[in-house]
Amino acid sequence: MPQIKIYQGDEIPSPMLKIWHTFADNPFAFAGLWAVVGFLLLAVFGPFIAPYSPEHQDPHALLLAPSWDPAGTVEHFLGTDDLGRDIFSRLLHGAHLTFGVALAIVLTSLVLGFIIGSISGMMKGLKSSILSHLLDALLSIPSLLMAILVVAVMGPGLNNVFWAVGIALTPQFVRAIHQAIHEELQKEYVKAAKLDGANPIQIFWYVIMPNVWDTVIIQTTLGISAAILDIAALGFLNLGAQAPSPEWGAMVSQGMDNILTAPWTVTIPGVAILCSVLAINLVGDGLRSALSPINN
Amino acid sequence: MARYLLRRLNLFLATSLVLFAVLFIVTSQFPVEQRFALTGIQSPSAEQIAQIEADYKLNSGKFNQFIAYLQQRLGGNLGISATSQRPVADELASVLPASFELAAVAGFLALAFGLPLGILASLSRHKVTQHTIMAITLTGYSIPVFWLGLTLSLWFGVQLGWLPISGRLNLLYEIEPVTGFILIDTLISSSPYSTSAFLDALLHIILPAVTLAVLPFTVVVRITRAAMISIMEQTYIKAAEARGLHTSRIVLRHALPNALIPVIKNLGLMLGTFASYAIVVEVIFSWPGVGAWLVSGIYQRDYTAIQGGVLAVALIIIFLSIMIEVLHTTMNPLSRKELYASN
Repeated sequence: MPQIKIYQGDEIPSPMLKIWHTFADNPFAFAGLWAVVGFLLLAVFGPFIAPYSPEHQDPHALLLAPSWDPAGTVEHFLGTDDLGRDIFSRLLHGAHLTFGVALAIVLTSLVLGFIIGSISGMMKGLKSSILSHLLDALLSIPSLLMAILVVAVMGPGLNNVFWAVGIALTPQFVRAIHQAIHEELQKEYVKAAKLDGANPIQIFWYVIMPNVWDTVIIQTTLGISAAILDIAALGFLNLGAQAPSPEWGAMVSQGMDNILTAPWTVTIPGVAILCSVLAINLVGDGLRSALSPINN
Repeated sequence: MARYLLRRLNLFLATSLVLFAVLFIVTSQFPVEQRFALTGIQSPSAEQIAQIEADYKLNSGKFNQFIAYLQQRLGGNLGISATSQRPVADELASVLPASFELAAVAGFLALAFGLPLGILASLSRHKVTQHTIMAITLTGYSIPVFWLGLTLSLWFGVQLGWLPISGRLNLLYEIEPVTGFILIDTLISSSPYSTSAFLDALLHIILPAVTLAVLPFTVVVRITRAAMISIMEQTYIKAAEARGLHTSRIVLRHALPNALIPVIKNLGLMLGTFASYAIVVEVIFSWPGVGAWLVSGIYQRDYTAIQGGVLAVALIIIFLSIMIEVLHTTMNPLSRKELYASN
């Protein structure tokens, strides 16, 4: 028997629940969330479910078309590349290189940027300007140029991409968090808390931060999609992951030699990158519109 | 206003100084001899070594070295390229116009198509139209630029054969570079084939410019749409409607100038990403600009070229972003209220 409702009004949902409801009401954002969860699972479990190892070469199946093509076979679901390596397996093995590394980079630079940004945002005057403008100079070096500098010093490789993209992303987090905190700091309710005798740390954590988290979340989703695109672009330019690696951008650049005879070696990894970035951006968009009514 | 401009100038100088410091530190970290990293001279004679050490004060402390480094770089001495043995400054002067041209055409395309589409998207009350436009822009925002470039060149360049996919001009034409902008050079050249050369240059720029324009285009559409939607709700628009003005006049005269303000702000924020994308596009379409030059510099470990290129591009981006900020402030009286705020 359903419960009888005595009161007219519904239960008042908590702010978090409200955000979740607004987010879940948007079917595109929800689809994006499922896709992101799927990519996360692939990044963790992909290597276990892949039918072949990423370096396994099948000399009898060179440049095999995908299975929906009349020339393709179902053993190699997405076809093979010029060395007879199964593209589907390589994609699964590459998921943690492109998607996983992007998450790791964003997490690291988020923590760093959060610390620097909050310190510089809470401070006033010259110290704050110096800290924030010091990083503005780094912000003006595009991420690819930063990567070129890092590669020039440390040589190419996926480890160095971690540093390159991280150095390029951190100033963005610093700037966003600095500005958000700085804006909140000037509002009246902070003054009220100050008059109540709250110390700076209490003001920071209990008064300001609840209003800054949405900026942090939005910036994080933007950062992840930028990081994926950067890692892939570096892999494509041969400055990131090197040749046999199944990193998705590197796969595109390896497929370039056969683009005329076997376009799927380029198209399929590209579609994988597109889908992962699209999923992240859908979630980010949904979050932004779910969070914005609170702002206004 | 003068004080504000002075502050921005100060910001430009400070940021550039930090940039020089970063480059100085990076230069000392290059895995080659410092003399080679600074000048690009592979095997200097004894006199040259003495000259280099005197120029860069290599025997004194780090701070003096930095001052000497600044003096050399600001004096226009960027060293010579290790691969071509030409001064890096000359090489930069020959590749920068090509990049500017590509960026200008791409930016023009993005604004020329993005603004009207953004306005249309904001005015349409049709769910399907809105969702379609948002889906297109979100896809454009997420697409990896190198893959887009390859796909477009495969499709329009190879399979359909409509457009050339590499370089700036067919090698048949010999055009004397005057301004460095090929579209202008072909027009003003006295060659009898200048018109056909211009058309050829135009065909060459279409694919790279369209590829590069996709990102700013999607950003412009999204920002314009969001700004227009919030502005059309404002009371002054209602007042204009009540006065019986035509919709086109309301949109163009009353709403659009205000909607442009966030667009300009976001264009400034996007410069760095745009430059990254431009580098990739130049590599894919063999566009002889600063991006392709830098990437070939890193393949050949040409350390002076890397320094010079990074310096030039970063300085241009710092300058442009400050200029856009100034433009934003002059266009937006509201932001002037914060001009004299403590920070």
